This record gives sequence, C-alpha cells and structure tokens, in this order.
Amino acid sequence: MSCELVLKERTGIINPIYTCQPAGAQFAGIGIKDCIPLVHGGQGCSMFVRLLFAQHFKENFDIASSSLHESAAVFGGSIRVEEAVETLIVRYPHLRIIPIITTCSTETIGDDIEGIIRKVNKKIEEKHPDRDVKLIAVHTPSYSGSQVTGYDNAISAIVKALAKKDEPSEKLNIFTGWVNPGDVSEIKHVLSEMQVDGNILMDTETFDAPIMPDKSAFAYGNTTIEEIVDSANAIGSIALSRYEGANAAKYLTDKFGVPSIVTPTPIGINNTDIFLENISKLTGKPIPESLIIERGKAIDAIVDLAHMFFANKKVAIFGNPDLVFGLAQFCLECELEPVLLLLGDDNTLYKIDPRLKALEEKANCDIKTIWNADLWELESRVKDKSIDIDLILGHSKGRYIAIDNDIPMVRVGFPTFDRAGLWKYPVIGYKGAEWLAETIANTIFASMESKHDREWIINVW
Amino acid sequence: MPLKLFCCDECIPERQNHVYVKEEGEDTTQFLPLSNIETIPGSLSERGCSYCGAKLVIGGVIKDCIQMIHGPVGCAYDTWHTKRYPSDNDNFQLKYIWSSDTKEKHIIFGAEKQLKKAIKEAFKEFPEIKRMFVYTTCTTALIGDNPKAVCREIEEELGDVDIFVVECPGFAGVSQSKGHHELNIGWMRDKVGTLEPEITSKYTINVIGDYNIQGDTYVLQKYLDKMGIQVIAHFTGNVTYDQLRCMHRAKLNVVNCARSAGYIANELKRVYDIPRMDVDTWGFEYVKVALRKIGAFFGLEDKAEEVISEEVAKYEGKLAWYKERLKGKQICIWTGGPRLWHWTKALEDDLGMEVVAMSSKFGHQEDFEKVIARGRVGTIYIDDGNELEFFEVLESIHTDLILTGPRVGDLVKKLHIPYINGHAYHNGPYMGFEGAVNMARDMYNAIYSPMWSLAGKDPRVVDSPMWSLAGKDPSVVQEL
Repeated sequence: MSCELVLKERTGIINPIYTCQPAGAQFAGIGIKDCIPLVHGGQGCSMFVRLLFAQHFKENFDIASSSLHESAAVFGGSIRVEEAVETLIVRYPHLRIIPIITTCSTETIGDDIEGIIRKVNKKIEEKHPDRDVKLIAVHTPSYSGSQVTGYDNAISAIVKALAKKDEPSEKLNIFTGWVNPGDVSEIKHVLSEMQVDGNILMDTETFDAPIMPDKSAFAYGNTTIEEIVDSANAIGSIALSRYEGANAAKYLTDKFGVPSIVTPTPIGINNTDIFLENISKLTGKPIPESLIIERGKAIDAIVDLAHMFFANKKVAIFGNPDLVFGLAQFCLECELEPVLLLLGDDNTLYKIDPRLKALEEKANCDIKTIWNADLWELESRVKDKSIDIDLILGHSKGRYIAIDNDIPMVRVGFPTFDRAGLWKYPVIGYKGAEWLAETIANTIFASMESKHDREWIINVW
Repeated sequence: MPLKLFCCDECIPERQNHVYVKEEGEDTTQFLPLSNIETIPGSLSERGCSYCGAKLVIGGVIKDCIQMIHGPVGCAYDTWHTKRYPSDNDNFQLKYIWSSDTKEKHIIFGAEKQLKKAIKEAFKEFPEIKRMFVYTTCTTALIGDNPKAVCREIEEELGDVDIFVVECPGFAGVSQSKGHHELNIGWMRDKVGTLEPEITSKYTINVIGDYNIQGDTYVLQKYLDKMGIQVIAHFTGNVTYDQLRCMHRAKLNVVNCARSAGYIANELKRVYDIPRMDVDTWGFEYVKVALRKIGAFFGLEDKAEEVISEEVAKYEGKLAWYKERLKGKQICIWTGGPRLWHWTKALEDDLGMEVVAMSSKFGHQEDFEKVIARGRVGTIYIDDGNELEFFEVLESIHTDLILTGPRVGDLVKKLHIPYINGHAYHNGPYMGFEGAVNMARDMYNAIYSPMWSLAGKDPRVVDSPMWSLAGKDPSVVQEL
C-alpha cells in the first residue's frame, strides 16, 4: 500500500502540534541534577514552559529567566545573562550547571552567548573560587525547528560541552529522547534484567516525586554532570529517538569512538525486540528469559484484543516524530490502520526516515504522513468527512477534535494534561506495548458504551 | 518596621525595597514597596511577558475572533489551553489558536507576506468568523514588521472583516502589565466608537476587568439583568468583538480589575465623559456594596436591594457554615496583583480568615497602596516574589492555605500546604454571592482534606498503632 509524505499546504498554523525550540531545550535541562536552565529572552519564554511542565507532570521545575526588557532589546542582553548567572550561583549553593538557552529575541539581537560565557567564567573564578558551575550555550532560536530540534540541540550542546575521555567504563549510554518518566523506568527495568549498567541521558524518573512525612522531597532531574562527562567512556550508545538525542550519540562516536546505534523507537513488540538485540550487540549480554516472558505477556494481551476490536480501525496519530513513527508501527502490529500521521515541524530529514519505508512494506492501508502539520490538518479532514477516523493517538492539545467529533482518543506523548498520571506509564518496551493495547481497548470500550454501539459485545470476550 | 530583606536576598539587596511588613500605626506614606520596575535576572521571578498580558489575560477571552499570533509558533502554543474562561458559544476561544509561523528566512526578509497569507487562510478556513486580533511578539517587533499596514490591506481586500492589532512584544515593559496597557489603549484608540449598539434600557454600563473566569461574567450578568441594566460590553468576559466597539455608549463604567483594565475606563472618561465606578465583584459583603453603588448611580436602589436580599437569603447560611470552619485560618495570596486587595479584607470580613503574606507579580504602586490599606498588621507584602523568598516566608509564618497558581501549588504541596488556584479557581465562579460560597467551599475542602494529616504521618514512627502491636498476638491485629 502507499505511504505518502506531503507538506502542509497552508502557510500559517491553526492549533500547533509542537511548541518552539527553547521549550525542548528546557525539557532537556530539567533532566539534569543540580541544574537550573537559564532562558535568555522574554519572561514568557520560561514562565509558560514552566506552566506547561506543571500541566503535564503536576510538579514544579526551576527554570530561570534573564528577564529581557526593552533596554536589552536595544543595547543587547549580555549584562542580563551575567547578572542572572551571578544571582543563581549565590542563591543556589548546590547549583552546578546552567544551560543558557537562547530564544528568538536574543538570537535576533545577536547576543554573543559564547563570549558572555567566557567572560562570566572568569568572573566566577575570581568571585567564587570554591564553585564549579558549568555554563553551556544552547542555541535555540524559536524561529527554527521546533521543540523537537530544541531538545536535540540541547542534548548535543550539553554532551559536547561535558563529555571527556577517561578510563573506559562498562556502561551503556541510553539517549532516551523526549519520553516520560514511566518510559525511563521501563528502560531501567530492561537494562537491569539484562544486567547492563546504563548511563541514562536524561534520567527523569525522579520527576515522580513523593510527598514525604518530613517534607524533604521535590521533583528533580537525576542525570549528574559526572554521568554526562563519562558518556565519552561508555561501551556504546543507543539512541531511542532519531530526532531527539541521536546527534549526541553520533558525536560521541565521531569524537571518542563510542559505538552508537540509533534504534527504531522501541514502541511495539518488533521495535522492542530490535532494541534488546541492539543492547546485546553493544554489551554482549544475552536477552534473559524474564524479558521473553514479559514479551509473551504483551503478545498475549494484544492477541486477546487485536482481531476482535482493533482490526480495520482507522487511526490518526500526531506528536513528536519518533513517537508517531513508533506508534504507527505498533498499530500495524496489532491490526490497527494508521491512516494519517501528523508531524508538526518542517524537518526535511523526515523524507529519508527509514521507518516510512518500513511502514509502506508492512501496511495493509494507505498511510498519509503530513509534515509541517498542525492539528487543523486532522480536524478539517474529520469535519469535511474526507477521512473517517475511529481512534486518535496524540497529546492533549488535540483533545477538542476528539471531544467535539466524538472520536475515542488515547492520550499519549507530551503534554497529556487532561488525563491523570499518564506520564508514569511507559509506552516503550513490552510493558509499554501491553499498556498501549489495553488502554486503547478500554478507551474504545468506554466509547462503545457511551454511544450504545454494540456495547453488549463486551459482555463476553 | 522598615522594608524587609530576606536572608536569601543578601546578594540582591535591592529586593529589600520590594518587601514590607506592616506595623501598627504605619501607613503607605512611610513605607511602600517598590513595584512595576525591572525584574532581577535569574531571581526565578514568577512574572510573565507583555504578550501574555495582552493575549492570555484580555484579548484571548473574546469569544468570536481569530487570534493570530504573529511570531514563531511557541507564543501561540503557550496561550492555548492555559486559562479557564468559557463562553456561551461552545467555548470557541478555548479551542483554537493561530500562528503566522515566522521562520528564520522571515527574520532576514521580513514576515509581513507570511502574516498576510496566514490571515487570509485563517479567514478562509473559518468563513463564519469575521473578526481578528493580531498580536506582535518579540521577533516580529524586532524585525520591524508593520502588521497594521498588512491588516488594513486585508480589510480593504476582503471587505467584511475587521482586524485589531496589538503591539505587545514580550520584552516590552517588565511584566504582563505592559500588555494590559497596550491592549486597553489600542482598543480605545482604534475600535471604540466604530459601531453603534442597540440600546434596550435606560440604564447602560460596561463591566470592565472581569474575564469570565469559570463563569464570573454570567453571575454578574444575572444580577444586572435583574436590575434592568443593559451591559453594553464586558471587558472582556464572554464578549464579542463588536460589543467592545460599542463601549462608548455606556452611561457608566463599572471597574473590577483596575490593574488590567483601569486604563480603558480612564480613556472612556477622558474622551466620552463616562464616569468610572470602582467596585469589588469578589467577596460576599463587597458585592452588596457594589450593587448598592450601581443602584444608587441609576436610582435603582430598590432593585439592588431586591437582588441582594434574594441572593443573601440563598447563600448566607452556606457561607456561615464555612465561616465557622474557616475562621482563624491563615492564608497567603500569591497572585498577579489586584486580587491581593480584592480578597484580603473580603476573606477577613466574610470568613474570619487572616491573610498573613501576599505577593504580587505585576501590581503597581497604587495596588500596594490599596492592599496595605486593606491588609492586616503583621502581614508580609511582597512585590514580584520568587521561590526562595516564598520558602523563607513559609518558614517564618504558619499558613493553612495558599491562593496561587498551579505550578507554585505543585511546589507547596510537598510542604503539606494546600493551594487553591488563585488565577483560574478550583471550582468557580468565585464572583458574586454564590462565588464567595464556592471559594469558601474550595478552601474548606483543601484545608480539611484528610490527606494532609496522613502526609505528615510516618507509619514507622513508634507511637503509631502498628508499632504498639508489634510482636503481639496476630488476632489482635486482625480485630483492629
């Protein structure tokens, strides 16, 4: 069947799928321990992103702003960065790293971030000789790329600035991409079953912070500077996302000879198989029986559902590109038909993504992928009935398409603010496949019930 | 007491001028915190930007417009699904956002053509919508686009559309406040007086500075309908673009949020000689005063009393129930600015609560004069408070609840302190008599949640029942 990639025809955006680069860079930054990202731009560029993270995680993350005002827009904003760094260093004694994230305004006025960093580094040496605070320039003008490239740029910039050759380690770097803490837990689980020591970039599992009797716990990122430094000495790297972190893995290969594999995002059984094989390939560790049992449980769960409830159902998917491709592959595995895929930015690399070819080979339906897309591409097709969609897979920004047109929707990706706690569950790995299949089924069941659409089928299955 | 310097602010001593603790006998001629001045970079200020003030607070509330954000995609994304202002046309304004999607090439060659295409497309995709707001952002302001010229061209070309342009780049001003100002003044200059309303009552008003948060506007509208008063426009709760063009025909401007919308009331006074009446539409007792003032202006005192007695009869019992349980509770208000002075005394008078610390993101000097005048002795008044200062406040006082945003709420829950959404409410409306009860109910539910005592308990601690039974006959355990 055909798998066509087309560019959105309209110029403007109606209901975006992605936000801009600095948001992605901030997401990368909050995954690091003892880190406060500093956004060099207007206050909204960090305030709104902090709100977005709070919407998704129901947690607070510290992100600073250089608070660019008019004078800086005219005379340059260097002094604002200098002041911000000084204030952060003094007021946060545990702070060890500050990614300095640019925005459209400060890239347009042309602030020389690298120059500012050199100057501030000297100042820190003089004023705070006892402090070692890494300042890292992250260039993320909002008018280029999207949250996806912003995340990738930040990971690359941070790894480039910190990774350093030393004694070889037995660790395997895992570049997770923009995933949820539930996915990080699943990655750790898989590594632990395979007895592989992982170096997770970035380890966001600690975003799930408890309320403790002694009031001591807050949400934080858990990847340390040392772990990033040590990424140069790993036994290998696996990037789980082609567009979010793969460049950093490639850098480690080119610069330090750390072998790397960009694995198809391990969503679904087959992609997880490949992930495990790749771990084996790089570490020499065998795939244990325990994971084959998990695999079998996931397949068992999917078999219970696929032919009876999923077959021939048409699915629209939107979100971060690696997630979308992975979900589309997963759909084909469990007999769903991913007829419309929406990628929210103009990254030309989509044209050569091998997963498009893989989808084409396996699909029993025509698949249309729109890039530089917005959510109106989906909504307008639903409204003018040019497509008939049975299920939507995507983040909460598309919720009204589902609500207003009565289409069952499974929230997946980022952000999922209109459902409770979803970010604690994985979509990757065998467990993720099982969770996805069962969540899709339960969503379809609830929809059948509310519409009285053969809901009696569910009495016996 | 002089202005206060927090320990965490020793390296930024200028913060001392932004924090005041009120003492007996002092007034604002002696001590008034500085406000509405430049933010200290890196302080983790809670402030937003000018664009936020224009779009998210005021313009985005209007229910029948295309909201075109001229800039890179992020600014559009950010002000979509981030507020709770419904409307009676199926919440059109909550569902959509438009961006001109400015890219790198436009930074070099200009983004006007891009904007023009995006606007025309938007009207084409939404043929029933004929009104539009266009907002500039940091980048499109810096490259010197002239969106007004673009919009005039499109208006001429399409004939039946009307477009309003707000110049509100995020770097303008020091907070959201600048964007409020830009939108107020711009709307007055460009749009007020360009359409005539249908007048259906001798008594006409604009309600200014109410944004229909969780249905506030419906509550106020209900009272005014009962009094026979025609609302020409709510600025901007549940309002249409064209209603706002007719604001010049009101006989009175009733102002609630003076910070975000006092400007347009002043302009309507200056240009059309429409009197400005400031009221509080939050607070059980305050609403009585507000309705009486409006009634007195039009000679509708009896009507006002009718509404008041009907509403009081419905809600005073409920309020009394909550007062019994909330009196003496200590709370903080960390919101935008004006709610500090709207709420501090209302919560004290209506419910017997004590507001012990207040922080404003974008209040001006006049807001601090008001809140210090109305607020309690011993209370801490902060301009542009930040995270470390908040922690220090929480160490120095006891608080049972914080009225603040969800993100700060997510922070303080770890300290076993509940929050109520002070911007968008938990379960509003909060305005009017019923709103005061809703607010009391939400605060009661938050403070008395069984989770807080459980959160503070460590089941490993020896005096818990589990421990005292350790090693004893297991049947005893089962009986428990």
